[in-house]
Amino acid sequence: MRLHDNRAWFLVLPAAAVMVFVGLLPLVTVLNFSFHDIFSLDQVYWVGMDWYAEIITSSRFHASLLRSLAFSAIVLSVQIPLGIGVALLLVRSGRMGLVMLLLVAVPLVVPWNMIPVMWLNLVNPRTGLAGLAMVWLGIGFDYKFTALHTWILLVVMDTWHWLGLVVILSYAAFSGIPQPYYQAAAIDGASRLAVFRHIELPRVTGALSIVLLLRFVDSFMIYTEAFAINAGGPSGKTTFLSLDLGEEIKGFSYGTAAALSMVYFLIVLTVVWAFVTLTENRKRHQERAIE
Amino acid sequence: MTKPGPAFLWFRAVAFAALALLILLPLAQTILLSFIATLPHDGVPLGEIGLVNYRNIFATPALVASIWNALIYVLLNVALCLAAGLPAAYAFARFRFTGDRHFLFLMLAFRVTPPVVLSLPIFILFAQVNLVNSPVGIALVHCLFNLPIAIWILERFISAIPRAFDETAFIDGHTLPSFFFRHLIPAIAPGIGVAAFFCFIFSWVEVVFARILTVTGGKPMTMAINALFTFQTDIGLVMAMTVFSLLPGLAMIWFVRNHISRGFEIRT
Repeated sequence: MRLHDNRAWFLVLPAAAVMVFVGLLPLVTVLNFSFHDIFSLDQVYWVGMDWYAEIITSSRFHASLLRSLAFSAIVLSVQIPLGIGVALLLVRSGRMGLVMLLLVAVPLVVPWNMIPVMWLNLVNPRTGLAGLAMVWLGIGFDYKFTALHTWILLVVMDTWHWLGLVVILSYAAFSGIPQPYYQAAAIDGASRLAVFRHIELPRVTGALSIVLLLRFVDSFMIYTEAFAINAGGPSGKTTFLSLDLGEEIKGFSYGTAAALSMVYFLIVLTVVWAFVTLTENRKRHQERAIE
Repeated sequence: MTKPGPAFLWFRAVAFAALALLILLPLAQTILLSFIATLPHDGVPLGEIGLVNYRNIFATPALVASIWNALIYVLLNVALCLAAGLPAAYAFARFRFTGDRHFLFLMLAFRVTPPVVLSLPIFILFAQVNLVNSPVGIALVHCLFNLPIAIWILERFISAIPRAFDETAFIDGHTLPSFFFRHLIPAIAPGIGVAAFFCFIFSWVEVVFARILTVTGGKPMTMAINALFTFQTDIGLVMAMTVFSLLPGLAMIWFVRNHISRGFEIRT
């Protein structure tokens, strides 16, 4: 049992100071900027909620929002089932499974700006392994000018990058299931589907909610990789929310950029709040079940 | 469990082969190109296979410096996260206090906030306090996502130790700092290792902050690679640098192989 003692704040103080400096202070700055029109840092005019009104009603924002939502939806519906499936295979494969687990972890430790470089070289029709194979098979792959191909490249690349995260967390959850559960199910003659539905799935909901949170936020705000692949093109077909923001910052429109940043932060905050609420409800539910 | 049938074994073999192919293909491409001379160099004809790209890395002072720059801020960040994270983790493991849940919520929010959202104000703020182009600036700003990770990992390890361990030490006359150094840190050494490795790797792979905070100098490895893209890019050299940038991560995976899921845990 943890004691209630407010002197514990002294122990949290260094961490809190760092978080205030690199997190809270910039956030307050961005909030302040978002209410102003900023020509230079000395010429600042109050505009109130104008930027927000402009963003919320602009068709550009709606289009980017829809694209980001679509990207997240595709990414989640590919990576989550695939990751769970791979993890289920790996837990049953002993040492070989462990080797594969370390292998799928490799893309997670590649610097983010290197990932698009690696993939662009891979699909290069003159020198890339995949590019040459596609030429040989007669597939015309043109990620520069065909929107569908840019999307495919982005989804495949993102799956390569992040599948390991889904696999690792699901694997950790599955390997924590005690053997007697499976033995009891075998005695009852439960089908494979029933084992998954009633034993495995409930045990991984906690891990899965973390995966969902991390994967949703990261895919929804994808920037480095998407920008390097095609800079939002062809003709804006892969301009996601973060790429819009990057453009505002590069164009020195600080006021709009700040308001956009605030809108994105509020989206993230809402998602985190939903995650925390759901997690706590589940915990309370489990505690009641134990009683 | 029942013994798997031959159909399952075949399915598994095919699935593993497909997965390994997907993961290894881009890596194979990178390693392959890193050994090929993609631009003609003195005495090395185009397309020759050899170590010319790796030799060129060490012949280019800017590239060597960039490796050091990256190492400096990453190690500084690890030190910062551990120094600030350990007392905080102890507080969360042992005490409840007013506002503790709000603090955890805020840490989670900052952990998942995309860097691009805060990049503009952080640049302006850091420019005012002279932290641009300095490894200290990047080390500090990477705490935004690494400090929460360090606190969550360390908190789990400390919570696993019974409270009696602390109380015995305090009865023996240890003050809080001497308890930390003499007892707590040795007892959770594996946890400190795991936290350090994850902070190292997440700082190593981050590029948005690393880019905006190095305008003219102190460029880290990832940015030095970006700078190699010119009118006539020596893609072999780029790939050789990429191979270098992969090495710390690969070593890390090996060191934390038994704790690999910890880097992605979240506490509410």
